[in-house]
Amino acid sequence: MGRSFLAGRAAAGGTTVRWIWIDGFVEFQSGHRAVAVKNVSLAEEHLHDCYPGLPIMPPPLMIEGMAQTAGILVGEARGFAEKVILAKIRQARFERRVVPGDRLRYQADIEVINEAGAATKGEVFCNDRPIGRVDLFFSHVDQNVSGLQFPEENFVFTEQFKGLLASFRQGLGQSKDGPKKEEPLP
Amino acid sequence: MPMNREEIFHTVQETLVDALGVDEEEVTSEATLKGDLGAESIDFLDIVFRLEKGFNIKIPRGELFPEDLLNNPEYVEGGKMTSAGMEKLKAAMPHADFSKLEEDPDVSRMPDLFTVDTLVRYVDSKVNAA
Amino acid sequence: MKFVLVDRIVRCVAGERICTVKALSLAEEYLADHFPTFPVLPGVLMLEAMAQSAGWLVRVTYDFEPVLIELREARNVTFASFIRPGELLEMELVAKRMDLASSEFVGTGSCSGRDVVKARLGLVHSALVGEGAQRAELAERLRAQARMQYELLGGPAATERELVGQSD
Repeated sequence: MGRSFLAGRAAAGGTTVRWIWIDGFVEFQSGHRAVAVKNVSLAEEHLHDCYPGLPIMPPPLMIEGMAQTAGILVGEARGFAEKVILAKIRQARFERRVVPGDRLRYQADIEVINEAGAATKGEVFCNDRPIGRVDLFFSHVDQNVSGLQFPEENFVFTEQFKGLLASFRQGLGQSKDGPKKEEPLP
Repeated sequence: MPMNREEIFHTVQETLVDALGVDEEEVTSEATLKGDLGAESIDFLDIVFRLEKGFNIKIPRGELFPEDLLNNPEYVEGGKMTSAGMEKLKAAMPHADFSKLEEDPDVSRMPDLFTVDTLVRYVDSKVNAA
Repeated sequence: MKFVLVDRIVRCVAGERICTVKALSLAEEYLADHFPTFPVLPGVLMLEAMAQSAGWLVRVTYDFEPVLIELREARNVTFASFIRPGELLEMELVAKRMDLASSEFVGTGSCSGRDVVKARLGLVHSALVGEGAQRAELAERLRAQARMQYELLGGPAATERELVGQSD
């Protein structure tokens, strides 16, 4: 799954990814639930700063992993038409330290979604044991946030993220659009 | 399902404690969402979502917090809300208390309309609609 | 990336509050992905910057006894606007509660008077004591590194200034 995605990027002369905190999807139910995994490896440079000699996966990067999982779920639910920005971390809590060699799983569920934004809840698993929760709030950004002008195109959902989703669907033998749920779940 | 004011107040109070991270004691009836409880624009959206879920009601966009009216320059003159603007606001927000604002309809005081009681009255009207 | 999210300690009142700065530069590689045509400091890195800032206050308050300071919980973290390359994220972390084992903070971040981020943080601290000789050695090394880093960040001057009651 992940291999075909990476090979494609290398062939295209793509640049190294620097801000992707999930490795791939293992489940994707449009408009409902997305589950992604991330391996934690000593080969990751940032781990050696916190702390030198005692590498620990920083909780904010696990929050980002969940945000990317949930963000793609929310974006895809509306055809990637809008920019989906993380507006609020309602609650994030981690009960256990995560270290190299561990395998993380982010399970994100949509609670509410409409034209203004979306609320998601999520559970974090480490080596298949629940270790935390991350509940988020996304905003469907328009041109008027803080008086800033955004670029016209949807810069949030880059080819890298769409590629991860496409790889997952290819693995399942699904079409590009995937199965769609008729209504969002209550 | 009918609910009385006290029950509604308690659930609204819980909602605000969760959404804003404030202590229960701070969430009094008269507390303003922005000034007293520190709510930001994104929190208003979060509050709408939670109220919808907590009370099983639908809150159409702009019904609880009519942003379009508040941000419309047509209704502002010399930093104050015009009488036409005030009339529109009152019609759009039957759940709010305009008495303090009547004395001085300064635009900067508009966020004070959104008190905890405003939310309670709005939810009451939705939950107990015949 | 280098996972150091505090560039300067501006003010520090032991047990109470700390003011810090994180400078954002286009040279930070992850910006190429966040986002390709619109580089901005990721919200979770603002949170990490605040957690590291709070961590410095804990270290100073307990004379660098705590070695590991980890974010256990973050609540009501709202992102109000963006930080662009060339701008500074100015943070203030106020301790609501602090003891040797854990702490709770309320944090705000702004840029030239513009609100950027607010958060509530819960941290847990540990000294790595009683876990064997190798751990004790590692703990001492981490402590020494922290003290050096604290100086690099302008910590001592920031703390003294407050103690003698000088204005900024």
